[in-house]
Parts: sequence; structure tokens; C-alpha cells
Amino acid sequence: MNQPGSSTATGTATTDVTTLDQIYQEILTSTDPAALRDKLQSAARNEKEVILSRPLSNGQDPLAILDPETHTLGCLYILCARLAPNATYPPSLVVIEEFCKRFTPEHARLAPDRMTALAKGITRVALSSNNLKYALSPLYYLVTRYPPNLSILTTLHSHYLTTCVTLRHFTAALPILSVPITNVDLRISDLTYNDNLVYHYAGGVALAALKRWHEAEEFFEICATAPGTAPAAIQYEALKKLTLVQLILYGKTKQTPKYTHAILTRLLKSSPYGNLARAYPLPTDQLTKQIQKDAEVFNTEKNWGLVQQVIDHAPRWLIHKLTSTYLTLGLADIAREIGSASQDEVRATIVSMIETGDINASISVDGTVTFSDPVFNVTKSDIDSALHHAQAQSRLLLDLERTLTSSKEYLAKALKHKDNDGWGPDDDNDGLGGPPSSFAWGDYL
Amino acid sequence: MDIDLIDETDFPNYSKSTGKRPAFVPVDDAHPFDLEAYISTYTGKTVVYRLIHIISICPTLAPQAFQLAVQHILQGRDPNLYQSLIIAYDTTAKTLPDAELPPHTDLAVIDQQWIDETNTKNQAERSKLEVELKTYTSNMIKESIRMAHRDLGNFYRSVGDYSSSLKHYTKSREFCTSSQHIVDMCMSVLELLLEQRNYAHIATYVFKADGALENAAARSNAAPNAAQAATLPPDAQQVAKAKAAAERERVQTKLDVATALSHLAQGAYEKAAQSFLKAGPIKNLEEWATKIVAPGDIAIYATLSALATFSRSAIKSNLLDNDSFGVYIEQEPYVRELVEAYMGNRFKTVLELLERYSTRHYIDLYLSTHVNNLVLEIQSRALVLYFQPFASIKMDRMSQAFGWTPEFLEQQVVHLIQKGEIHARVDRQNRILKAKVVDQRAELFSRAVKSGADIQSTNRKLLLRMRLQQSDLIVKPPKNQNQNQNHIDFLAYSVVI
Repeated sequence: MNQPGSSTATGTATTDVTTLDQIYQEILTSTDPAALRDKLQSAARNEKEVILSRPLSNGQDPLAILDPETHTLGCLYILCARLAPNATYPPSLVVIEEFCKRFTPEHARLAPDRMTALAKGITRVALSSNNLKYALSPLYYLVTRYPPNLSILTTLHSHYLTTCVTLRHFTAALPILSVPITNVDLRISDLTYNDNLVYHYAGGVALAALKRWHEAEEFFEICATAPGTAPAAIQYEALKKLTLVQLILYGKTKQTPKYTHAILTRLLKSSPYGNLARAYPLPTDQLTKQIQKDAEVFNTEKNWGLVQQVIDHAPRWLIHKLTSTYLTLGLADIAREIGSASQDEVRATIVSMIETGDINASISVDGTVTFSDPVFNVTKSDIDSALHHAQAQSRLLLDLERTLTSSKEYLAKALKHKDNDGWGPDDDNDGLGGPPSSFAWGDYL
Repeated sequence: MDIDLIDETDFPNYSKSTGKRPAFVPVDDAHPFDLEAYISTYTGKTVVYRLIHIISICPTLAPQAFQLAVQHILQGRDPNLYQSLIIAYDTTAKTLPDAELPPHTDLAVIDQQWIDETNTKNQAERSKLEVELKTYTSNMIKESIRMAHRDLGNFYRSVGDYSSSLKHYTKSREFCTSSQHIVDMCMSVLELLLEQRNYAHIATYVFKADGALENAAARSNAAPNAAQAATLPPDAQQVAKAKAAAERERVQTKLDVATALSHLAQGAYEKAAQSFLKAGPIKNLEEWATKIVAPGDIAIYATLSALATFSRSAIKSNLLDNDSFGVYIEQEPYVRELVEAYMGNRFKTVLELLERYSTRHYIDLYLSTHVNNLVLEIQSRALVLYFQPFASIKMDRMSQAFGWTPEFLEQQVVHLIQKGEIHARVDRQNRILKAKVVDQRAELFSRAVKSGADIQSTNRKLLLRMRLQQSDLIVKPPKNQNQNQNHIDFLAYSVVI
């Protein structure tokens, strides 16, 4: 095993790092993280991970002596090697956690693939000890500390989320989920399209489980409408869940954005979910009858819980519909309209709807419900904050516009257009979701 | 305003109209109908078709209609009609055993001898015509070939072979030498299509006929100007022009009626009403007035479609103030009554009239399937019109004005509210219908705030989308399906929310 591996190694460090002791020395002495990364990279390549996964010649455990903060890269590479599936000498969870807590993100970002491998390794080790829970806190440290900020998607995001969802520790995911993803940087993390899909799907699941329907809707929508030349199966699953969430949230489905893959919408329309959405809302017993024949499908696709909640929400939407038609109604009338057996049940539903602010109504002693128009109150501060948001938004778009119009690709294209047919750069704005056209590109040229 | 209550017993008839059209229509004191008078306005094959239709939807009249139909069949030369007549009669007798219809053999004996004779005669005539056509074709006399095709078309039409008839008519087009010929051909085809109740192609032939007319008019205008201008006295020019115009008007009426009927058949009631109301004087209908639709029918179609789709002012200007259409209305006096009741907001009378003449409407060949839709439309419009000036109204008063039970009225009103045609809400407890008041200011604020939030989230999603595309993180067809599938299984098992 101690043969020089120079024939396959690439980069600058094709040299003589052949034993762990040498590597160890390198780690200790190196001042340039990038060079060290290259060396370690070549050492890790070509089955030499085995070297990295051994103890030092004097029998010491390198991880025990190296400080994760100053020797982040060294630790990272050694940890990964030790966590590899065939490694004989797995590190203890304490060591892992220590590393996750203390590593230097700037150094770690030099080796994004190792971070992914580390996350995978942690999950695997936790699983093999039959306790996935152990993985949770190291992963949490990784995902919160590694990216420059949480709005940048990394492979760690999807790992952490799947772990949370698998463990049903939905609340643990909230700090991550509360920051929407707006950035993607392949230099920071070796992402694949699946990471994006999985992160948003799992995020949607977690949020739906916590009954945060609005956020869940957004996550599912992002997953279902992710760009692509072919739809992924997980997108279809997301679309199904999106439909159910929207039924709970709005009592009907909303039109999916027009960039949704056409096959997905077509599939959904003819699926049991499409049927449910068309029938919704009906009185509970009719609805139950309607979906009876599809119960099997909902069950096997693990959506039964959501479907059940959709059904539970049906009376609320029926009552909601009544408010636009009637001013007053007896409880008995409402019970008949929504197909409910007992007035008490209806009363309870209405009271809860009033509490949550879904409707504006009052119930008098004799059981008459008086609906009134929903009162919409905007305070001055509401308006102010709305304006602030709008301004921030337009600033953001303006910045984006600037960077875009000064980018090399854009300028090359725009000039080409100009040569060809005069002023034709407008086509290039397509992908931007409509920046205000008043920002003529020429202003920044 | 008429606010008398009418008898309870009348209600079921209205509520019935919310469903599909009734399978059978009654003829009694409340729904008078005189078959003899009705059918005597028609001639030709349409009589038999109309009678067959009556047999299939009105058992009370079936025996009488059967006998009349047999008489008419004997005058014609299409033995197949016998068959369809008997089938229609038997179906009615079978589906409605309560009516105790006598078996058709008691009503009229089938004249087998006539059938045989007619068949032989038809055969002979067909051979004769075909031989003629062959001769002309070999002699290549264009005009004769056209006439031979036309004659064959007429012949097939009279024996009920519509597809052959259509084939010959269209064939004759190749041999048409003047626009007049084309117009004639189009009219024959239109007549045929209407008789056959095949509405899909009507528009095409109307269009063709229109084109040909245009051509003819252009030529008759151009001809005098050029060569003959010098030779013809000015009077003659005038005459020629007037003649062309008259010809155009004559055909135009028929074309309008044909277009209108095809619109009606396709449920485009507004267009149908417009076309019907454009129709010229009755005399321009010529033989269509008895062979296809009676002027009275046109009055009914136009009025019902107009009431169902036109605004009040449009009804006034297009229907009531339309002199040429007034002549049509004279044919069916109750139609005027109907329109006037509608314009005078006497909706109860409108509904009563509609109900009273429902049998007359259902029995009509072209209108039958649309009566229900039209009546429902008129009802809704009446309700909307009635409520328009009020901010709130007692439902009881409203139900009296319409002659409905309060329950039925509420049902209708609720339906219209949900469709968004009446902007009001029902106060069930106090039985009041109250117009909705919208606070525009609050509405504006809530909409602005909402669209702001929407745009923000849309922007966020689009930005992410753009970033993903920039980094080429787009979903590609998987190289192996399993990998993807595993992911889902893994996630799915944990996801029972």
C-alpha cells in the first residue's frame, strides 16, 4: 500500500506523500489551505483513503491530536476516509460532533465534495448503530455553519431535511426552512438537481406535518415546478401533495405556474387527486363516498393522512361558500347544507372558523348565524411595511438587472443582436420574470 | 305590478323545468294545442318528420298524429318513412304503457301494394335519370349535366336517400356556369340539410351562396357600365339593378333563416336571435315557409332566443321596433304578449305564458331540445332584472311577483348568486334578499397588500428558478429510473402526516 501513486494523481501535489505520518506533517505545517487541499485530494484518490483511515505509526489517532478549527481540511479528509462504507476504523460520534461544531467554514468550502461525503457518512454510521437520531445534531451544525448564509442551497440541506423527516423531528427543520432558498452556488456545494427537489419536497412534508400550509404550499410548488426537460417522479409526488395542501388552504386548487411541466399537470388531472379536487368541497359523507374507490391509491401513496385532513376541512369550505350567499342562516339549515348530522358539530365548526378568522359571523341564542363581511383592517404600519418590502424587492431586482446586464454572456449576446438587427436585446429579458421594461439595457452598457 | 298568488297546483310544472326536458309533454286545458291547425301550415316531408317527433314526445296526440302521418306518407314517395313512423309509435307505446295507446294496426293499415308500386316507380325513375345523366356526360353538355345532377339530387331527396342526394347536388357544382346556378345549388343543399337536421355544414353553404350572390351583383353592376352602357337606356339599367337587389334580398332571407337555425341547433342563442331578426319579409321565404319553417315558428324561435340573451334595450330596438319582424310576430299573437309582459316587468305573466305554450314549443322539431335551456335562461334574466333596482327586497313579495313558492324562488336566487349573476345575499331568517355593498377602499387595500405579497413570493420562486437554470441544475431524464424511485419510496414511508 505504500507505493507512490504519482501515476494517477493530478494537480500540483503529485509528490511523495505516501504515509499518513507524512500527510500528518503536511497538515500540521501547511499554511496555504488550497495547496493542502490539493495534496489531500491526491492522497485521498485512488484507494488511498485507506492510508488516511489508519492510525499514525506511533499508534495515535490523528483525529484526537488534530484541532478541527485550525486543521479543518485535514480532519475533514481523515473523517471522510474513516466514514467510508468499507472503512474498518470508524470515528466515534463525539469526535464527529466536535468537528461539526468547530470546523472553519472557509477552509471546508475548499472541499465541497468531502462535506457531502461527510454528511452521507454521518447518516450511514448513525443508521448502522440503529439510531439515526445521533446524526441529527452533527448535521444541524454542518448545515448551519457550512454555507455563508442559509439562503444558499447545499447538499447538506437535503441531507438534514431527509433525516429530520425520517425521524419525524419536524420542528428541528424549522430554523432551516424559515430561510427560503434563493441562491445556488456550485462552487460551495456539489449539487445535483435532486438535492433541490429532495430539499423542497422534504421541507414541504415537514411544514405540512406542522400544519404550516402556506409555507408547505410554496415548498411543494418549488419542487413540482423545478425546471427540467423531463419530469421527475418526486415532482409528481410533490404536485399531488400540493393539490391536497391547496384544497385545505383555499378549498380549491390554484392554477400551477405556466412553467410547470405539461406532463405533470396532465397526469394529475386524470389521477384520483384530480378527481378529488374537482369534487371538492362536498358534504363529508358524499366526499367520502366519492373517494372510496381511490382510498387504496391514497393509502399506498402515503397521502391518506393529508386526504383525511382535506375531508375534515370540507365543511369549513362549504360554510365559507354559504357566507357569500346568505346573510343569516339557522344552524339547522347549515347542518343540512353541509350534510352534517348534528347542530353541535356545526356550531363547533363555526366557532372555530370565527376564532381563526376564516369568517366573520355571530351565532345568536336561538341558533341563527349572522354572517357579515370580513373586516379588513390595515394599519399605518402594515402599509409601511408593505411599502418597505416592495422597495426592497425592487432594489433587489434592480441589482439583479445590473449584474445581469453587465455579465459577459449578456453583453456578448446583446452586441450580436445589435449587429444583426439593430435593437433586439429585449428577448434576453425572458428568464428574469419581467424586470420593469423602463430599465433600458442601454443605460448600463 | 301583478302580485296575485296563483294556485299551488301549478308549481310542480315549474320545478320540473330545472331538470332535463320532460320525456313527454301533456296536452290539456292548461296546455292547449291543436294538431290539425298546427300541421296544416306545413307541406312536404317536414309534415311527416314533425308528426313523428310529436308521436315520440306527446302520447296524447300520438294516435291522431299517426293517422295524419300515414296520409301524408301516401302522398309522398318514400316508403321508408313508414318504417320510422311505426318504430317511433311503438317506442312511445312501450315506454309509456299507462297511456294505453292502441296498436298501430288499429289506426291505419299499411298499404303494402302502395309500397311495392312506389318502389317500382322509384326504381324506374332512377334508371331513367341515370341514363339521362350518362348520355349528357358522354355528350359533354355542361348545362344538361348540371340539370341531370340536380334532378337526381331532387329525386334522391324525395325518396329519402340523403347522402346520394347531397352527392349529386355537390357534383352539380362542377357544372355550374353562372352565379345563379351556384346559388340555386346552395339553396337546394341548405334545404336538404335543414330537412335532414344536419346543422354542421349549413354555415359552409350559406357562405358559398353569399359569395355567389356577391359575384352576381358585381357582374350585373359592371355589365351595364361597360359594354351595354351605351346601348341600354338608363331605365333598363335601373331595372337590372333593382332585379339583382330583389334577388339578393329574396335569397338573403332564406340564408338568414338557415344560419339562424344552425346557430339555434348549436345552442348559440344570441347569434340565432340576431340572424332570425335580420330575416326579410315573409314572402321571401317562398316555399320554405311551408316546407321548412312556418313564419310563426320563426317568431317563436327569435323571441325566445332574444328574451334569453338580449338586453332590454336590444330587445326593444331589434324586436319590438323592427317592422319587418312585426309581420312574423303577427303569426303567433301570444309571442307579442310574451314580449310585452317581459318588457313591462310582468314576469309572472311571462312564466305563465311560457308554461302554457310549453307543449307548442316542445313539439316543434327544431326548438324541442332547446326549450328547457331557453326557459331557464329567461327565468334567470327575469330574476336579475327584477332585483336590479332594489337594495333589499322581501322574498315573499318577490315570489308573488313570479308566482313561485318562496322555497323555489330562494333556490333559484341562491343558484344565481352562486353563479355571480345577482350580487346579493339572502337573509334566510328575515326572508330578505339584500344587495351586496362593497367597501371599495378596503377592497383596494386588501388587494394591493395581497398582490404585493404574491409578487414577492413569485419573484423569490423565479429567482431560485433562474439560479437553478444558470447552474444547470435542471431535471433531466434519469439514466436509470430506479434511483429516483428509491428516493420516493424512502420519503414516502416517512410521510404519513
